[in-house]
Amino acid sequence: MAVSTVYTVQSLNSTCSISTPSKPFSQKHILFFTTTKRALTRSCRQISCSAEDKTVVIGLAADSGCGKSTFMRRLTSVFGGAAEPPRGGNPDSNTLISDTTTVICLDDYHSLDRTGRKEKGVTALDPKANDFDLMYEQVKALKDGAAVDKPIYNHVSGLLDPPELIKPPKILVIEGLHPMYDERVRHLLDFSIYLDISNEVKFAWKIQRDMAERGHSLESIKASIEARKPDFDAYIDPQKQYADAVIEVLPTQLIPDDNEGKVLRVRLIMKEGVKFFNPVYLFDEGSTIEWIPCGRKLTCSYPGIKFSYGPDTYYGHEVSVLEMDGQFDRLDELIYVESHLSNLSTKFYGEVTQQMLKHSDFPGSNNGTGLFQTIVGLKIRDLFEQIVVSRTAAALEAAKA
Amino acid sequence: MSASLALATFNFRPALPFAPPPSSASAPRSGRRTMAGGVRSEMKLYKGTHMREQRLAEMIEKKVAEATQVCGEDETSDECKVAWDEVEEVSQAKADLRLKIHQLQQDPLEHFCQENPETDECRIYED
Repeated sequence: MAVSTVYTVQSLNSTCSISTPSKPFSQKHILFFTTTKRALTRSCRQISCSAEDKTVVIGLAADSGCGKSTFMRRLTSVFGGAAEPPRGGNPDSNTLISDTTTVICLDDYHSLDRTGRKEKGVTALDPKANDFDLMYEQVKALKDGAAVDKPIYNHVSGLLDPPELIKPPKILVIEGLHPMYDERVRHLLDFSIYLDISNEVKFAWKIQRDMAERGHSLESIKASIEARKPDFDAYIDPQKQYADAVIEVLPTQLIPDDNEGKVLRVRLIMKEGVKFFNPVYLFDEGSTIEWIPCGRKLTCSYPGIKFSYGPDTYYGHEVSVLEMDGQFDRLDELIYVESHLSNLSTKFYGEVTQQMLKHSDFPGSNNGTGLFQTIVGLKIRDLFEQIVVSRTAAALEAAKA
Repeated sequence: MSASLALATFNFRPALPFAPPPSSASAPRSGRRTMAGGVRSEMKLYKGTHMREQRLAEMIEKKVAEATQVCGEDETSDECKVAWDEVEEVSQAKADLRLKIHQLQQDPLEHFCQENPETDECRIYED
């Protein structure tokens, strides 16, 4: 550490001389003062404050609105606490807030409300219906530690309601149709996920969702999916090439000609080389594995469980793919599987199972969707902790230099 | 922990008679969330929430009819895709509301109604 020209021992120990320097203020003065215990505490507080001030931003791309509730609730649960709508605000707010996490619905950045979209002849999927400048501005502000007045898109009335105040959280999740569409927003994301539902599964899920509603029929559900498909393929689907993790949901291969969409084949596609993200693997990292856990040690009921793991390329990127086909129907199956996976970023043995059980009433709790959503949640927690550590270390380095 | 705990289902009926006076904010309006799995208790809604549910149901019906008609004229038109997009939007909104109420036992008007119990929207909806 270089000795700079500070003149007396007294000034070393007194903290008030920093505030009104007679000479032009230079970095080295700070350096010197950091050697005293009192000043060290003060400047360290400043350093740690700035590391904590910066929010970690996660993007989640998914069709059909916000309130990808299941995924979001699993995610916020991993961090601890339950996510709830903001208290005392607009009851139609799409935002979810927990102790550590705030989830923002990107529909709030619609530049056109329902009437406006009808007039212009654009769907909500069309980028023309969204204000990417505002989205970028506000996500950047939150990331830098400033609160924003975010608009609210009301899905019931189809109107844009008066804004709500969003304070910068530790973790900001932006979910919706276009988190990775705009390049500027994309570069603000510390991690991004794309939920890729195949057409057959989408159809099956929407049947489950809508068949009980008056007015809907198989035809209307099918027509709605078909009509939205061109815009979906043009604007939403291409985002998956940018995602750090893709959760792909497909029909099972374990039951021939299954079209109920109840048993699912889920693939977790993890990009290699992403900072602070170490892909989950099975048995031997980088090799190719097929694994059926059911056998002598584990009895499964039909159709059983099948895992595979291996390296691959995805839109020109190196990836590792972990795949699960089938269902869990007992707790011990889940624990058995968890014990054979590596790089899960759990804090204790059985944490994945515990998280799955906590939300066993949520859809997907007995198959790969729940499992991989939970695992992604743990990976994000791990990423967050690593980022905080690295920022604190970097700030301390900067102060020393 | 027994495996059956995760998958057990049971019915929970609140013992208290319903509709406490608005002033006792601490009295629970509904059975609280039960353990994993299980049929939820009947949750009484605020009138405003029930009305939102009704409104969304009507909109779904109306918009499906509109879309069917518009697309009948020209399936490839912008009007057609916008019409089905609206159907999707309200269908999802209704599903989200249903999820909140029945699975998460959260009435969106909960906090508003604790502050403003005398408004019409905050009357308890009785069947």
